[in-house]
Amino acid sequence: MLGYAARRSVVALGLVWVVATLVFLVIHLIPGDPAELLLSQGGFAPDPAAVAELRERLGLDRPLPEQYLAYLGDLARGDLGRSLLDEHPVAEEIALRLPRTLELILAAALLAVAVGLPLGTLAALRAGGIGDRVLSVLAGVAMSVPVFVIGTLAVLVFAQKLRWVSAGGFTPFDRDPLGHLALLAMPAATIAVGLAAVVFRMTRSSILEVLGRDYVRTAVAKGVAPLRIVVHHVVRNALIPVVTVLALHLGTLLGGTVLVEYVFNWPGLSGYLVNAVEARDYPEVMGIVLVISVLFVLLNLAVDLLYALLDPRVRHA
Amino acid sequence: MALRDRHRLAAPLAVVGGIVALAVAAPLLPLPDPVTIEVAARLAPPSPGHWLGQDEYGRDVLSRVIWGARASLAVAFVSALVAGLAGTLLGLLGGYFRGVVEILTVRSAEAVLCFPPLLLALLVVTLLGPGAATLIVALSILYAPAYARVAYAETLAARNLDYVVAQEALGARSGRILARTVLPNVAPPLLVQFSLTVASAMVLESGLSFLGLGVVPPEPSWGLMIRGARSTMEQAPWLLLWPCLALTGTIVALNLLCDVLRDVLDPRGRTVAANPFRRFAGSLLPAAPSAAPPPALLRVEGLHLEIGSGPDALQAIRDVSLTLASGETLAVVGESGSGKTLTGLAILGLLPPVVRVTAGRILYTGRDGTTRDLARLDEAAFRRLRGDELAMVFQDPSASLNPVHRVGDQVAEAIRAHRDVGAAAARGQAVALLDRVGLPDAARRSRAYPHELSGGQRQRAVIAAAIANGPRLLIADEPTTALDVTIQAQILALLASLKAQAGGMGLIFVTHNLAVVSEIADRVAVMYVGEVVEEGPVAVVFARPRHPYTAALIASVPEGDDERLSAIPGTVPPLHDLPAGCRFAPRCGFAEAACRTAPPVLEAVAARHSTRCRRWREVG
Repeated sequence: MLGYAARRSVVALGLVWVVATLVFLVIHLIPGDPAELLLSQGGFAPDPAAVAELRERLGLDRPLPEQYLAYLGDLARGDLGRSLLDEHPVAEEIALRLPRTLELILAAALLAVAVGLPLGTLAALRAGGIGDRVLSVLAGVAMSVPVFVIGTLAVLVFAQKLRWVSAGGFTPFDRDPLGHLALLAMPAATIAVGLAAVVFRMTRSSILEVLGRDYVRTAVAKGVAPLRIVVHHVVRNALIPVVTVLALHLGTLLGGTVLVEYVFNWPGLSGYLVNAVEARDYPEVMGIVLVISVLFVLLNLAVDLLYALLDPRVRHA
Repeated sequence: MALRDRHRLAAPLAVVGGIVALAVAAPLLPLPDPVTIEVAARLAPPSPGHWLGQDEYGRDVLSRVIWGARASLAVAFVSALVAGLAGTLLGLLGGYFRGVVEILTVRSAEAVLCFPPLLLALLVVTLLGPGAATLIVALSILYAPAYARVAYAETLAARNLDYVVAQEALGARSGRILARTVLPNVAPPLLVQFSLTVASAMVLESGLSFLGLGVVPPEPSWGLMIRGARSTMEQAPWLLLWPCLALTGTIVALNLLCDVLRDVLDPRGRTVAANPFRRFAGSLLPAAPSAAPPPALLRVEGLHLEIGSGPDALQAIRDVSLTLASGETLAVVGESGSGKTLTGLAILGLLPPVVRVTAGRILYTGRDGTTRDLARLDEAAFRRLRGDELAMVFQDPSASLNPVHRVGDQVAEAIRAHRDVGAAAARGQAVALLDRVGLPDAARRSRAYPHELSGGQRQRAVIAAAIANGPRLLIADEPTTALDVTIQAQILALLASLKAQAGGMGLIFVTHNLAVVSEIADRVAVMYVGEVVEEGPVAVVFARPRHPYTAALIASVPEGDDERLSAIPGTVPPLHDLPAGCRFAPRCGFAEAACRTAPPVLEAVAARHSTRCRRWREVG
């Protein structure tokens, strides 16, 4: 198991390097002068002096290999550059906002698993029944509604009409723990709706498949109690694909929370990102994209390790 | 495409088609201009001129919803098309030429998948500025790798098809092969991918527009409308409703279309696995205490099993009767499809849900001396018997062990299911059992996972779990078929020695291999298409078979150096088309006119020896 973890970690480290290089290359692969591109607004040619100044600030006037080495060196020191607008260090802002985004995703994932996993299991055990059919249709709809539609309608109903919760915002946990959780609830639940539907579907089909396996019949032949068969033999094996799918979706969520954070005014990475994109603040966007993509890679590493923990056969692969 | 499939496609296709038609026809419809501002009618409620009311600038909402569909659908379709063409081309080339081309096409496209999708789109927006054109570029880059992957995988599969290989051998040019042969094969999965992409592109487009980074105002788009309505949520909540409904409805319809398309185009996904917990209704009847017959261990009387229901039901097992006394070994022999495995499963109540007992009894006399009808035993009572008094060893040991649990724990589980022992004690007993079935170094191997053991060792572990509670009846269903020939003999020897040690355990040995029958069994029952054709003591039956099928089977076993085998002429009839009289008559050298009209009954040859042949006196 340790050897496997070490091998996977080396691969992940390699991927981090690939991602960093890709982010670096994006600006250089665009046809034309990137500085000119960034400064151009609505088809007007930008001021040549401003372009020259931006080229120098971004280091675009230096030879490519030199830029690349400097970029990697900065990364190794945790330096993601400074904002074009106010010179604020990008890494500092990310360090402040990233935990809030991660908290949101984690809360949503827990909610989704808590709802999707048991319902998916029940639906599979009663496959074809009325409950199964109703849940499957609901899941299909829940997966289809865009997350910002759910969020916006949730604000309309629960904040505007019923006034159960406030429409959004953020309170630090250490200042007001309950208030913090109250504000976390709605955005987390909004993300969880679609995610729970995914977990439900995956769990259902996975359990149905495992139920037909020979080792389940063996367990029945041993006289093992149904509940133990479901928990010990079926769910454990069925979880393996569910974990993969969930992790893939969590990775997508790393980017997808942008919309939910925007709707609920949650001061995570996304507000920062959206502002940076609007202002075309190139270092900021690059920094955020890099950090999230690296997290994406690490998440996949975590999934691989979890996979090995769940399925002993993987450890020897 | 089957008619049923076309019906299922009709509804989602009609909805999606309707939405597309409405969007395309928008300029022709008598709608107010979607961008004309009328400040005086700000947030006006629905009126005859404006059916859905007016928005925060007094623009007509109905008109904007319909025109908004145009923007959303155009971006989604165009980017799905561009991504589809580019991705498919990359995948086809990579899958067909492999090697360096594969790295340049498929693998480099996959680099895009390192980034979360929305993020990559935002990166493109940063560089190119917002707008519909940017969205198309971003979404195309985003979705191309998915097509590349699908096309790549399907091309690899299609390449290996015989007719593609044949064309290559005939010297056809690769471009021609790709276009003419591979492309039609990859089309169905790509079509599914296309509808998936359209739905997903719509979600992303509306999301980016909602953030103000997609379609540029005042051009209408559903995402932008939701963004606008949010700011006036307090005064005019209904404004939120229309674009939300339009967007959600369209995506639901698109996803539904995807689901149906996938079902229709990819029938592989359609099979639903059997659920062992849904037992047939017959077994849920209360267990009736039956009139006590002589204390045989097991008496199967007139058992009928049906696969499926209604007029299409297949009579898989017809009028099967077997008896087994304590300490006896009965071999059930037959070709695949003879129903020997189903008979074994029926005794343990492990029949798949589509198989039902329609008649007959399975009388089992338990350790406590009472006789129960297993065909009508309720599940809870059955569970107490299974793994305790009744046990089963299956054909494929690698499939019948759970891959994620240690083998020792799987043996211990059988013990703990029936006896009140602690986990540590059960584990200790499991090691002793594994030692007893001849697993070398049992203490260490009990901690191994199934994939760490050899096939023979796995089967030993399965047997250990089966005998854990000293069963009175052990059913072994082709326990050596999946194993190497050298291991087969060892497993047979193990079963024989276990039976000798456990006084009184009855063994039913299901096999298609006549050679092992004489080694292990006292009695033999020969099955042919769902019926027992002959049953009797092994020595007697082998010396003088009283059914032509038994005789033919024995003649087909290779013996010593004699290489000449006599194969049975003809083929096994399918269950849905059985001959009217004797089922074996068409292949039988003894068959006469009477054999072809009326099915023969089971006749007694001697005590505990019977045959289903009216000419048995002349056979053998």
